[in-house]
Amino acid sequence: MSSVLYYFLAFTGINILMCWSIYLPYRVGQLHYLTVACMLASAYFSGFAAREWSWPFALILAAGILIGVLISLLPSFAIGDAPCFTVVIVGLTIIFIFKTAVENSAALGGTIGFFGIPEVQHLLPLTYLLLAAAGAFIYRIDHSRLGRAASVVFVDKNTAAALGVDVKQLGMFFQIAAGGIAGLAGTLYAFLIGSLFPEFFNLGVIGTLMCMLFTGGHSTMWGVVVSVPILEGMQLLLPSAIASWRQVIYALTLIVIILLLPGGLITKRTLVRFKGRSRA
Amino acid sequence: MEIFVAQLLNGLSLGSMYVLLVLGFNLMLLVAKIIQFAYPHLVVLSMYVCWAVLRYTDNMLLVVLASVASCIVINIAIEPIFRLLAKRHGLDINVSFVVSMSMALLITDVMSHLLNYGYPIAFPSDWVGKSIFSSGLIAFSAGQAYALFGGIAAVVAFFYLLYRTRQGRVLRAISENSLLSSIIGIPIVKTRVLSYGVAGLLGGLTAVMLARLLGSASPGLGDFVGMKVVAASILAGLGNLKGGLVCGLLLGVAESMAIGYLAGSWSNAIAFMMMLIIMLIKPEGLFGIRA
Repeated sequence: MSSVLYYFLAFTGINILMCWSIYLPYRVGQLHYLTVACMLASAYFSGFAAREWSWPFALILAAGILIGVLISLLPSFAIGDAPCFTVVIVGLTIIFIFKTAVENSAALGGTIGFFGIPEVQHLLPLTYLLLAAAGAFIYRIDHSRLGRAASVVFVDKNTAAALGVDVKQLGMFFQIAAGGIAGLAGTLYAFLIGSLFPEFFNLGVIGTLMCMLFTGGHSTMWGVVVSVPILEGMQLLLPSAIASWRQVIYALTLIVIILLLPGGLITKRTLVRFKGRSRA
Repeated sequence: MEIFVAQLLNGLSLGSMYVLLVLGFNLMLLVAKIIQFAYPHLVVLSMYVCWAVLRYTDNMLLVVLASVASCIVINIAIEPIFRLLAKRHGLDINVSFVVSMSMALLITDVMSHLLNYGYPIAFPSDWVGKSIFSSGLIAFSAGQAYALFGGIAAVVAFFYLLYRTRQGRVLRAISENSLLSSIIGIPIVKTRVLSYGVAGLLGGLTAVMLARLLGSASPGLGDFVGMKVVAASILAGLGNLKGGLVCGLLLGVAESMAIGYLAGSWSNAIAFMMMLIIMLIKPEGLFGIRA
Protein backbone atom coordinates (compact mmCIF):
# COMPACT_ATOMS: atom_id res chain seq x y z
CA MET A 1 0.00 0.00 0.00
CA SER A 2 1.34 3.45 -0.90
CA SER A 3 2.12 5.79 1.97
CA VAL A 4 -0.36 8.38 0.62
CA LEU A 5 -3.19 5.83 0.74
CA TYR A 6 -2.04 4.59 4.16
CA TYR A 7 -2.13 8.10 5.67
CA PHE A 8 -5.43 8.88 3.94
CA LEU A 9 -7.04 5.78 5.45
CA ALA A 10 -5.40 6.29 8.86
CA PHE A 11 -6.43 9.95 9.18
CA THR A 12 -9.91 9.22 7.82
CA GLY A 13 -10.47 6.56 10.48
CA ILE A 14 -9.11 8.68 13.32
CA ASN A 15 -10.99 11.79 12.23
CA ILE A 16 -14.28 9.89 12.00
CA LEU A 17 -13.74 8.66 15.57
CA MET A 18 -12.88 12.16 16.79
CA CYS A 19 -15.86 13.68 14.98
CA TRP A 20 -18.11 11.11 16.64
CA SER A 21 -16.60 12.04 20.00
CA ILE A 22 -17.73 15.64 19.39
CA TYR A 23 -21.02 14.56 17.81
CA LEU A 24 -22.15 12.58 20.89
CA PRO A 25 -22.11 15.45 23.45
CA TYR A 26 -23.48 17.79 20.75
CA ARG A 27 -26.59 15.60 20.85
CA VAL A 28 -27.31 17.38 24.17
CA GLY A 29 -26.14 20.74 22.79
CA GLN A 30 -22.61 20.74 24.18
CA LEU A 31 -19.43 21.37 22.18
CA HIS A 32 -17.15 19.12 24.19
CA TYR A 33 -13.63 19.97 23.02
CA LEU A 34 -12.25 18.17 26.05
CA THR A 35 -12.19 15.09 23.80
CA VAL A 36 -9.10 16.56 22.09
CA ALA A 37 -7.39 16.63 25.52
CA CYS A 38 -8.48 12.98 26.03
CA MET A 39 -6.95 12.12 22.65
CA LEU A 40 -3.71 13.90 23.57
CA ALA A 41 -3.42 12.15 26.95
CA SER A 42 -4.23 8.70 25.54
CA ALA A 43 -1.87 9.14 22.60
CA TYR A 44 1.08 10.11 24.80
CA PHE A 45 0.30 7.44 27.38
CA SER A 46 0.05 4.79 24.68
CA GLY A 47 3.28 5.85 23.04
CA PHE A 48 5.09 5.91 26.35
CA ALA A 49 3.69 2.56 27.54
CA ALA A 50 4.64 0.87 24.25
CA ARG A 51 8.13 2.31 23.98
CA GLU A 52 9.27 2.41 27.62
CA TRP A 53 7.28 -0.36 29.33
CA SER A 54 6.73 -2.63 26.28
CA TRP A 55 3.08 -3.21 27.21
CA PRO A 56 1.06 -5.36 24.78
CA PHE A 57 -1.16 -3.46 22.33
CA ALA A 58 -4.44 -4.84 23.71
CA LEU A 59 -3.62 -3.64 27.22
CA ILE A 60 -2.55 -0.22 25.94
CA LEU A 61 -5.78 0.08 23.96
CA ALA A 62 -7.87 -0.67 27.06
CA ALA A 63 -5.79 1.75 29.15
CA GLY A 64 -6.11 4.45 26.45
CA ILE A 65 -9.91 4.18 26.47
CA LEU A 66 -9.92 4.20 30.28
CA ILE A 67 -7.78 7.36 30.37
CA GLY A 68 -10.22 9.10 28.03
CA VAL A 69 -13.13 8.04 30.22
CA LEU A 70 -11.46 9.21 33.43
CA ILE A 71 -10.42 12.59 32.01
CA SER A 72 -14.00 13.19 30.89
CA LEU A 73 -15.52 11.84 34.08
CA LEU A 74 -13.99 14.29 36.55
CA PRO A 75 -15.05 17.59 34.91
CA SER A 76 -18.42 16.10 33.91
CA PHE A 77 -19.55 16.27 37.55
CA ALA A 78 -19.36 20.06 37.19
CA ILE A 79 -20.20 20.61 33.51
CA GLY A 80 -22.65 17.78 32.83
CA ASP A 81 -25.46 20.32 32.39
CA ALA A 82 -23.37 23.50 32.05
CA PRO A 83 -24.08 25.99 29.25
CA CYS A 84 -22.44 25.02 25.97
CA PHE A 85 -20.04 27.88 26.12
CA THR A 86 -18.67 26.97 29.55
CA VAL A 87 -18.10 23.41 28.28
CA VAL A 88 -16.18 24.85 25.32
CA ILE A 89 -13.86 26.92 27.49
CA VAL A 90 -13.32 24.13 30.04
CA GLY A 91 -12.27 21.91 27.11
CA LEU A 92 -9.93 24.49 25.60
CA THR A 93 -8.39 25.23 29.01
CA ILE A 94 -7.69 21.57 29.74
CA ILE A 95 -6.16 21.09 26.27
CA PHE A 96 -3.84 24.01 26.99
CA ILE A 97 -2.87 22.66 30.43
CA PHE A 98 -2.15 19.17 29.02
CA LYS A 99 -0.14 20.65 26.17
CA THR A 100 1.93 22.70 28.61
CA ALA A 101 2.54 19.59 30.72
CA VAL A 102 3.76 17.66 27.66
CA GLU A 103 5.92 20.55 26.42
CA ASN A 104 7.62 20.72 29.82
CA SER A 105 8.14 16.97 30.15
CA ALA A 106 11.50 15.66 28.91
CA ALA A 107 10.24 12.06 29.17
CA LEU A 108 7.50 12.85 26.63
CA GLY A 109 9.88 14.62 24.25
CA GLY A 110 8.90 18.17 25.19
CA THR A 111 8.32 20.50 22.25
CA ILE A 112 10.58 18.40 19.98
CA GLY A 113 8.16 15.48 19.82
CA PHE A 114 7.87 11.86 20.92
CA PHE A 115 9.30 9.29 18.49
CA GLY A 116 9.99 5.58 18.20
CA ILE A 117 6.55 4.16 18.93
CA PRO A 118 6.74 0.47 17.87
CA GLU A 119 4.70 -0.75 14.91
CA VAL A 120 1.68 -3.01 15.36
CA GLN A 121 0.88 -5.65 12.73
CA HIS A 122 -2.38 -5.25 10.73
CA LEU A 123 -3.24 -2.05 12.55
CA LEU A 124 -5.16 -0.42 9.70
CA PRO A 125 -7.76 -3.23 9.35
CA LEU A 126 -7.98 -3.36 13.15
CA THR A 127 -8.60 0.41 13.22
CA TYR A 128 -11.56 0.05 10.88
CA LEU A 129 -12.87 -2.88 12.93
CA LEU A 130 -12.75 -0.73 16.06
CA LEU A 131 -14.31 2.14 14.09
CA ALA A 132 -17.21 -0.15 13.18
CA ALA A 133 -17.57 -1.19 16.84
CA ALA A 134 -17.62 2.46 17.96
CA GLY A 135 -20.17 3.22 15.21
CA ALA A 136 -22.39 0.35 16.39
CA PHE A 137 -22.18 1.69 19.97
CA ILE A 138 -23.19 5.19 18.87
CA TYR A 139 -25.97 3.80 16.64
CA ARG A 140 -27.37 1.91 19.65
CA ILE A 141 -27.29 5.05 21.80
CA ASP A 142 -28.91 7.13 19.05
CA HIS A 143 -31.78 4.64 18.70
CA SER A 144 -32.35 4.13 22.40
CA ARG A 145 -34.30 6.09 25.03
CA LEU A 146 -31.08 7.99 25.75
CA GLY A 147 -30.90 9.17 22.14
CA ARG A 148 -34.51 10.34 22.17
CA ALA A 149 -33.97 12.10 25.50
CA ALA A 150 -30.87 13.80 24.05
CA SER A 151 -32.91 15.06 21.10
CA VAL A 152 -35.34 16.74 23.51
CA VAL A 153 -32.49 18.24 25.58
CA PHE A 154 -30.97 19.65 22.36
CA VAL A 155 -34.21 21.48 21.58
CA ASP A 156 -35.11 22.60 25.11
CA LYS A 157 -33.52 21.63 28.42
CA ASN A 158 -36.50 22.79 30.46
CA THR A 159 -38.95 20.69 28.44
CA ALA A 160 -36.67 17.70 28.80
CA ALA A 161 -36.49 18.19 32.57
CA ALA A 162 -40.29 18.53 32.71
CA LEU A 163 -40.59 15.22 30.83
CA GLY A 164 -38.48 13.56 33.52
CA VAL A 165 -35.07 13.57 31.82
CA ASP A 166 -32.13 13.98 34.21
CA VAL A 167 -30.30 16.53 32.05
CA LYS A 168 -27.10 16.46 34.10
CA GLN A 169 -26.76 12.67 34.17
CA LEU A 170 -27.51 12.47 30.46
CA GLY A 171 -24.90 15.13 29.72
CA MET A 172 -22.38 13.30 31.91
CA PHE A 173 -23.06 10.01 30.10
CA PHE A 174 -22.52 11.54 26.67
CA GLN A 175 -19.37 13.36 27.80
CA ILE A 176 -17.87 10.20 29.31
CA ALA A 177 -18.75 8.07 26.27
CA ALA A 178 -17.18 10.73 24.05
CA GLY A 179 -14.05 10.67 26.22
CA GLY A 180 -13.76 6.90 25.76
CA ILE A 181 -14.04 7.19 21.97
CA ALA A 182 -11.46 10.00 21.94
CA GLY A 183 -9.17 7.82 24.10
CA LEU A 184 -9.50 5.04 21.51
CA ALA A 185 -8.72 7.54 18.73
CA GLY A 186 -5.66 8.78 20.65
CA THR A 187 -4.21 5.30 21.08
CA LEU A 188 -4.78 4.41 17.42
CA TYR A 189 -3.30 7.75 16.34
CA ALA A 190 -0.10 7.11 18.33
CA PHE A 191 0.46 3.70 16.70
CA LEU A 192 -0.71 4.60 13.19
CA ILE A 193 1.44 7.73 12.90
CA GLY A 194 4.34 6.56 15.08
CA SER A 195 5.28 10.00 16.40
CA LEU A 196 3.58 12.67 18.51
CA PHE A 197 3.93 16.45 18.60
CA PRO A 198 2.18 18.67 21.17
CA GLU A 199 1.69 21.36 18.49
CA PHE A 200 -0.72 19.02 16.66
CA PHE A 201 -3.32 19.37 19.43
CA ASN A 202 -4.34 22.99 18.90
CA LEU A 203 -7.30 25.09 17.82
CA GLY A 204 -6.61 24.09 14.20
CA VAL A 205 -7.48 20.46 14.97
CA ILE A 206 -10.73 21.54 16.61
CA GLY A 207 -11.53 23.71 13.59
CA THR A 208 -10.89 20.77 11.26
CA LEU A 209 -13.13 18.47 13.31
CA MET A 210 -15.89 21.09 13.51
CA CYS A 211 -15.71 21.58 9.75
CA MET A 212 -16.01 17.83 9.18
CA LEU A 213 -18.90 17.47 11.64
CA PHE A 214 -20.94 20.45 10.42
CA THR A 215 -20.26 19.78 6.74
CA GLY A 216 -21.39 16.18 7.06
CA GLY A 217 -24.33 17.04 9.27
CA HIS A 218 -24.43 17.30 13.05
CA SER A 219 -27.85 15.74 13.50
CA THR A 220 -26.84 12.20 12.52
CA MET A 221 -23.76 10.03 13.01
CA TRP A 222 -23.57 9.25 9.27
CA GLY A 223 -22.71 12.78 8.21
CA VAL A 224 -19.04 12.53 9.14
CA VAL A 225 -18.75 9.16 7.37
CA VAL A 226 -19.39 11.10 4.16
CA SER A 227 -17.62 14.39 4.92
CA VAL A 228 -14.35 13.11 6.41
CA PRO A 229 -13.18 11.10 3.35
CA ILE A 230 -14.21 13.99 1.06
CA LEU A 231 -12.33 16.62 3.06
CA GLU A 232 -9.31 14.38 3.66
CA GLY A 233 -9.25 13.34 -0.01
CA MET A 234 -9.62 16.96 -1.17
CA GLN A 235 -6.45 17.79 0.71
CA LEU A 236 -4.56 15.03 -1.14
CA LEU A 237 -5.94 15.96 -4.55
CA LEU A 238 -5.23 19.68 -4.30
CA PRO A 239 -1.83 21.00 -5.45
CA SER A 240 0.54 21.42 -2.49
CA ALA A 241 0.56 25.23 -2.82
CA ILE A 242 -3.21 25.27 -2.26
CA ALA A 243 -3.23 22.39 0.24
CA SER A 244 -1.07 24.47 2.61
CA TRP A 245 -4.09 26.78 2.94
CA ARG A 246 -6.03 23.86 4.40
CA GLN A 247 -7.21 25.73 7.51
CA VAL A 248 -8.49 28.62 5.42
CA ILE A 249 -10.35 26.21 3.13
CA TYR A 250 -11.86 24.38 6.11
CA ALA A 251 -12.84 27.62 7.85
CA LEU A 252 -14.49 29.02 4.72
CA THR A 253 -16.25 25.71 4.06
CA LEU A 254 -17.61 25.69 7.61
CA ILE A 255 -18.90 29.28 7.39
CA VAL A 256 -20.54 28.67 3.98
CA ILE A 257 -22.10 25.37 5.07
CA ILE A 258 -23.55 26.87 8.27
CA LEU A 259 -24.97 29.82 6.34
CA LEU A 260 -26.34 27.97 3.32
CA LEU A 261 -26.86 24.39 4.48
CA PRO A 262 -27.42 24.63 8.25
CA GLY A 263 -28.07 20.90 8.71
CA GLY A 264 -25.04 19.80 6.68
CA LEU A 265 -24.94 17.30 3.79
CA ILE A 266 -26.72 14.47 5.62
CA THR A 267 -29.66 15.33 7.84
CA LYS A 268 -32.24 13.14 9.54
CA ARG A 269 -34.64 13.98 6.69
CA THR A 270 -32.08 12.75 4.13
CA LEU A 271 -31.85 9.44 6.00
CA VAL A 272 -35.64 9.04 6.12
CA ARG A 273 -35.84 9.69 2.35
CA PHE A 274 -33.00 7.22 1.72
CA LYS A 275 -34.71 4.52 3.82
CA GLY A 276 -38.00 5.14 2.01
CA ARG A 277 -36.35 4.66 -1.39
CA SER A 278 -34.55 1.48 -0.41
CA ARG A 279 -37.82 0.01 0.92
CA ALA A 280 -39.61 0.89 -2.36
CA MET B 1 8.23 42.49 48.18
CA GLU B 2 9.89 44.20 45.20
CA ILE B 3 8.92 41.27 42.94
CA PHE B 4 5.35 41.54 44.19
CA VAL B 5 5.10 45.27 43.43
CA ALA B 6 6.76 44.86 40.03
CA GLN B 7 4.40 42.04 39.09
CA LEU B 8 1.40 43.96 40.42
CA LEU B 9 2.23 46.86 38.09
CA ASN B 10 2.69 44.40 35.21
CA GLY B 11 -0.55 42.69 36.11
CA LEU B 12 -2.56 45.92 36.26
CA SER B 13 -1.22 47.01 32.84
CA LEU B 14 -1.98 43.63 31.29
CA GLY B 15 -5.29 43.38 33.15
CA SER B 16 -6.47 46.72 31.77
CA MET B 17 -5.96 45.28 28.27
CA TYR B 18 -8.02 42.22 29.16
CA VAL B 19 -10.71 44.52 30.58
CA LEU B 20 -10.98 46.41 27.27
CA LEU B 21 -11.20 43.17 25.31
CA VAL B 22 -13.78 41.69 27.68
CA LEU B 23 -15.87 44.89 27.43
CA GLY B 24 -15.83 44.81 23.61
CA PHE B 25 -16.61 41.09 23.60
CA ASN B 26 -19.48 41.49 26.08
CA LEU B 27 -20.93 44.50 24.26
CA MET B 28 -21.36 42.44 21.09
CA LEU B 29 -22.77 39.58 23.14
CA LEU B 30 -25.35 41.81 24.84
CA VAL B 31 -26.42 43.89 21.86
CA ALA B 32 -25.79 41.69 18.81
CA LYS B 33 -26.32 38.40 20.71
CA ILE B 34 -23.18 36.80 19.29
CA ILE B 35 -20.13 35.14 20.79
CA GLN B 36 -17.38 36.88 18.81
CA PHE B 37 -14.47 34.51 19.51
CA ALA B 38 -12.51 36.11 16.65
CA TYR B 39 -12.53 39.54 18.32
CA PRO B 40 -9.06 39.16 19.96
CA HIS B 41 -7.77 37.83 16.62
CA LEU B 42 -8.96 41.05 14.97
CA VAL B 43 -7.06 42.97 17.63
CA VAL B 44 -3.89 41.03 16.78
CA LEU B 45 -4.52 41.76 13.10
CA SER B 46 -4.72 45.45 14.02
CA MET B 47 -1.36 45.08 15.79
CA TYR B 48 0.01 43.90 12.44
CA VAL B 49 -1.52 47.01 10.84
CA CYS B 50 0.29 49.13 13.47
CA TRP B 51 3.52 47.36 12.63
CA ALA B 52 3.04 47.87 8.89
CA VAL B 53 2.28 51.60 9.32
CA LEU B 54 5.27 51.99 11.66
CA ARG B 55 7.56 50.83 8.86
CA TYR B 56 6.68 53.96 6.89
CA THR B 57 6.08 56.57 9.57
CA ASP B 58 6.56 57.03 13.30
CA ASN B 59 3.63 59.43 13.53
CA MET B 60 1.71 58.16 16.58
CA LEU B 61 -1.60 59.65 15.46
CA LEU B 62 -1.43 57.93 12.08
CA VAL B 63 -0.61 54.60 13.70
CA VAL B 64 -3.54 54.88 16.13
CA LEU B 65 -5.90 55.94 13.35
CA ALA B 66 -4.82 53.06 11.11
CA SER B 67 -5.21 50.53 13.92
CA VAL B 68 -8.62 51.83 15.02
CA ALA B 69 -9.89 52.17 11.44
CA SER B 70 -8.81 48.65 10.47
CA CYS B 71 -10.41 47.08 13.55
CA ILE B 72 -13.68 49.02 13.11
CA VAL B 73 -13.90 48.32 9.35
CA ILE B 74 -13.21 44.58 9.63
CA ASN B 75 -15.50 44.18 12.64
CA ILE B 76 -18.35 45.96 10.87
CA ALA B 77 -17.62 44.08 7.63
CA ILE B 78 -18.33 40.73 9.29
CA GLU B 79 -21.62 41.95 10.81
CA PRO B 80 -23.75 40.92 7.77
CA ILE B 81 -22.53 37.32 8.18
CA PHE B 82 -23.87 37.21 11.73
CA ARG B 83 -27.09 38.95 10.63
CA LEU B 84 -27.63 36.29 7.97
CA LEU B 85 -26.82 33.65 10.56
CA ALA B 86 -29.44 35.08 12.92
CA LYS B 87 -32.01 34.97 10.10
CA ARG B 88 -31.31 31.31 9.39
CA HIS B 89 -30.70 29.96 12.89
CA GLY B 90 -32.42 32.52 15.12
CA LEU B 91 -30.24 34.11 17.78
CA ASP B 92 -28.34 30.89 18.57
CA ILE B 93 -25.13 31.97 20.31
CA ASN B 94 -23.62 28.48 19.98
CA VAL B 95 -23.82 28.65 16.19
CA SER B 96 -22.40 32.17 16.27
CA PHE B 97 -19.51 30.77 18.30
CA VAL B 98 -18.77 28.06 15.73
CA VAL B 99 -18.78 30.63 12.92
CA SER B 100 -16.63 33.10 14.85
CA MET B 101 -14.20 30.32 15.69
CA SER B 102 -13.87 29.60 11.97
CA MET B 103 -13.20 33.29 11.42
CA ALA B 104 -10.51 33.15 14.10
CA LEU B 105 -8.84 30.22 12.32
CA LEU B 106 -9.13 32.07 9.03
CA ILE B 107 -7.51 35.24 10.41
CA THR B 108 -4.73 33.27 12.14
CA ASP B 109 -3.94 31.25 9.03
CA VAL B 110 -4.00 34.28 6.74
CA MET B 111 -1.63 36.08 9.14
CA SER B 112 0.73 33.11 9.27
CA HIS B 113 0.77 32.77 5.46
CA LEU B 114 0.83 36.36 4.27
CA LEU B 115 2.18 38.67 6.96
CA ASN B 116 5.93 38.77 7.61
CA TYR B 117 6.20 35.22 6.18
CA GLY B 118 4.46 33.92 9.32
CA TYR B 119 7.30 35.05 11.59
CA PRO B 120 6.52 37.01 14.75
CA ILE B 121 6.76 40.78 14.40
CA ALA B 122 8.77 43.05 16.69
CA PHE B 123 7.94 46.71 17.29
CA PRO B 124 10.75 49.28 17.38
CA SER B 125 12.31 49.66 20.84
CA ASP B 126 11.53 53.40 20.96
CA TRP B 127 7.87 52.52 20.29
CA VAL B 128 7.79 50.27 23.36
CA GLY B 129 9.53 53.04 25.32
CA LYS B 130 12.15 53.27 28.02
CA SER B 131 11.64 52.85 31.72
CA ILE B 132 10.03 55.97 33.21
CA PHE B 133 10.44 54.82 36.80
CA SER B 134 12.90 52.34 38.24
CA SER B 135 13.77 51.28 41.78
CA GLY B 136 15.50 47.96 42.40
CA LEU B 137 13.46 45.24 40.68
CA ILE B 138 10.52 47.58 40.18
CA ALA B 139 10.44 49.17 36.73
CA PHE B 140 7.58 50.96 35.06
CA SER B 141 8.00 51.35 31.31
CA ALA B 142 6.33 53.81 28.98
CA GLY B 143 4.50 50.86 27.36
CA GLN B 144 3.05 49.86 30.73
CA ALA B 145 2.02 53.46 31.44
CA TYR B 146 0.25 53.70 28.06
CA ALA B 147 -1.53 50.41 28.70
CA LEU B 148 -2.57 51.22 32.25
CA PHE B 149 -3.63 54.85 31.89
CA GLY B 150 -4.86 54.46 28.32
CA GLY B 151 -6.87 51.45 29.46
CA ILE B 152 -8.41 53.39 32.37
CA ALA B 153 -9.30 56.30 30.07
CA ALA B 154 -10.89 53.96 27.50
CA VAL B 155 -12.92 52.16 30.18
CA VAL B 156 -14.16 55.48 31.63
CA ALA B 157 -15.10 56.68 28.13
CA PHE B 158 -16.87 53.38 27.41
CA PHE B 159 -18.99 53.52 30.57
CA TYR B 160 -19.70 57.22 29.95
CA LEU B 161 -20.97 56.32 26.48
CA LEU B 162 -23.05 53.49 27.87
CA TYR B 163 -24.61 55.23 30.88
CA ARG B 164 -24.53 58.96 30.10
CA THR B 165 -25.42 59.25 26.40
CA ARG B 166 -28.51 58.68 24.27
CA GLN B 167 -26.71 56.10 22.14
CA GLY B 168 -25.71 54.26 25.32
CA ARG B 169 -29.34 54.09 26.45
CA VAL B 170 -30.27 52.68 23.05
CA LEU B 171 -27.54 50.02 23.32
CA ARG B 172 -28.69 49.09 26.83
CA ALA B 173 -32.34 48.98 25.77
CA ILE B 174 -31.57 46.46 23.00
CA SER B 175 -29.48 44.37 25.34
CA GLU B 176 -32.43 44.18 27.77
CA ASN B 177 -35.18 43.48 25.23
CA SER B 178 -34.69 43.80 21.49
CA LEU B 179 -38.34 43.12 20.60
CA LEU B 180 -39.65 45.87 22.88
CA SER B 181 -36.89 48.17 21.66
CA SER B 182 -37.97 47.70 18.04
CA ILE B 183 -41.61 48.36 19.02
CA ILE B 184 -40.70 51.74 20.53
CA GLY B 185 -38.85 52.66 17.34
CA ILE B 186 -35.20 51.88 18.05
CA PRO B 187 -33.44 50.87 14.81
CA ILE B 188 -32.19 47.40 15.74
CA VAL B 189 -29.84 46.70 12.83
CA LYS B 190 -28.29 50.17 12.96
CA THR B 191 -27.72 49.91 16.71
CA ARG B 192 -26.21 46.43 16.37
CA VAL B 193 -23.83 47.79 13.74
CA LEU B 194 -23.00 50.57 16.20
CA SER B 195 -22.08 47.96 18.83
CA TYR B 196 -19.68 46.35 16.31
CA GLY B 197 -18.23 49.80 15.67
CA VAL B 198 -17.75 50.58 19.38
CA ALA B 199 -16.18 47.14 19.94
CA GLY B 200 -13.93 47.78 16.92
CA LEU B 201 -12.91 51.15 18.38
CA LEU B 202 -12.03 49.52 21.70
CA GLY B 203 -10.17 46.74 19.84
CA GLY B 204 -8.15 49.19 17.74
CA LEU B 205 -7.08 51.16 20.81
CA THR B 206 -6.25 47.92 22.62
CA ALA B 207 -4.09 46.84 19.67
CA VAL B 208 -1.98 50.01 19.92
CA MET B 209 -1.62 49.70 23.68
CA LEU B 210 -0.85 45.95 23.50
CA ALA B 211 1.80 46.67 20.87
CA ARG B 212 3.44 49.17 23.21
CA LEU B 213 3.09 46.85 26.20
CA LEU B 214 4.30 43.57 24.63
CA GLY B 215 6.61 44.92 21.93
CA SER B 216 5.89 41.95 19.67
CA ALA B 217 3.08 39.87 18.19
CA SER B 218 2.62 36.59 16.36
CA PRO B 219 -0.28 34.92 14.51
CA GLY B 220 -0.82 32.56 17.47
CA LEU B 221 -1.27 35.44 19.92
CA GLY B 222 -4.95 35.75 18.96
CA ASP B 223 -5.75 32.18 20.08
CA PHE B 224 -3.95 32.73 23.34
CA VAL B 225 -5.54 36.08 24.17
CA GLY B 226 -8.88 34.87 22.83
CA MET B 227 -9.05 31.97 25.25
CA LYS B 228 -8.22 34.25 28.18
CA VAL B 229 -10.73 36.91 27.20
CA VAL B 230 -13.50 34.37 26.77
CA ALA B 231 -12.54 32.63 30.00
CA ALA B 232 -12.52 35.98 31.87
CA SER B 233 -15.98 36.72 30.44
CA ILE B 234 -17.27 33.37 31.65
CA LEU B 235 -15.63 33.86 35.06
CA ALA B 236 -17.39 37.21 35.34
CA GLY B 237 -20.66 35.83 34.00
CA LEU B 238 -21.32 36.12 30.27
CA GLY B 239 -22.47 39.63 29.38
CA ASN B 240 -21.74 41.06 32.83
CA LEU B 241 -19.84 44.29 32.05
CA LYS B 242 -18.98 45.25 35.62
CA GLY B 243 -17.97 41.68 36.44
CA GLY B 244 -15.78 41.71 33.33
CA LEU B 245 -14.01 44.77 34.68
CA VAL B 246 -13.10 42.97 37.91
CA CYS B 247 -12.24 39.60 36.31
CA GLY B 248 -10.13 41.14 33.53
CA LEU B 249 -7.99 42.94 36.08
CA LEU B 250 -7.83 39.88 38.35
CA LEU B 251 -6.74 37.70 35.43
CA GLY B 252 -3.97 40.12 34.49
CA VAL B 253 -2.68 40.30 38.06
CA ALA B 254 -2.92 36.52 38.59
CA GLU B 255 -1.08 35.84 35.35
CA SER B 256 1.69 38.31 36.20
CA MET B 257 2.09 36.87 39.69
CA ALA B 258 2.37 33.38 38.19
CA ILE B 259 5.01 34.64 35.74
CA GLY B 260 6.90 36.31 38.60
CA TYR B 261 6.93 33.36 40.93
CA LEU B 262 6.78 30.29 38.64
CA ALA B 263 9.09 28.92 35.98
CA GLY B 264 8.68 29.26 32.20
CA SER B 265 5.52 28.28 30.39
CA TRP B 266 3.99 26.78 33.56
CA SER B 267 2.89 30.26 34.59
CA ASN B 268 0.21 30.40 31.90
CA ALA B 269 -0.93 26.89 32.74
CA ILE B 270 -1.36 27.96 36.38
CA ALA B 271 -3.45 30.97 35.29
CA PHE B 272 -5.61 28.62 33.20
CA MET B 273 -5.82 26.13 36.05
CA MET B 274 -7.17 28.83 38.37
CA MET B 275 -9.77 29.84 35.80
CA LEU B 276 -10.69 26.21 35.27
CA ILE B 277 -11.28 25.59 38.97
CA ILE B 278 -13.54 28.64 39.28
CA MET B 279 -15.42 27.66 36.10
CA LEU B 280 -15.96 24.14 37.42
CA ILE B 281 -17.19 25.40 40.79
CA LYS B 282 -19.33 28.25 39.40
CA PRO B 283 -20.14 27.56 35.71
CA GLU B 284 -22.52 30.57 35.64
CA GLY B 285 -19.69 32.95 36.63
CA LEU B 286 -18.80 34.89 39.77
CA PHE B 287 -21.14 37.80 39.10
CA GLY B 288 -23.98 36.05 37.26
CA ILE B 289 -24.87 35.68 33.57
CA ARG B 290 -26.49 38.77 31.99
CA ALA B 291 -26.67 37.62 28.36
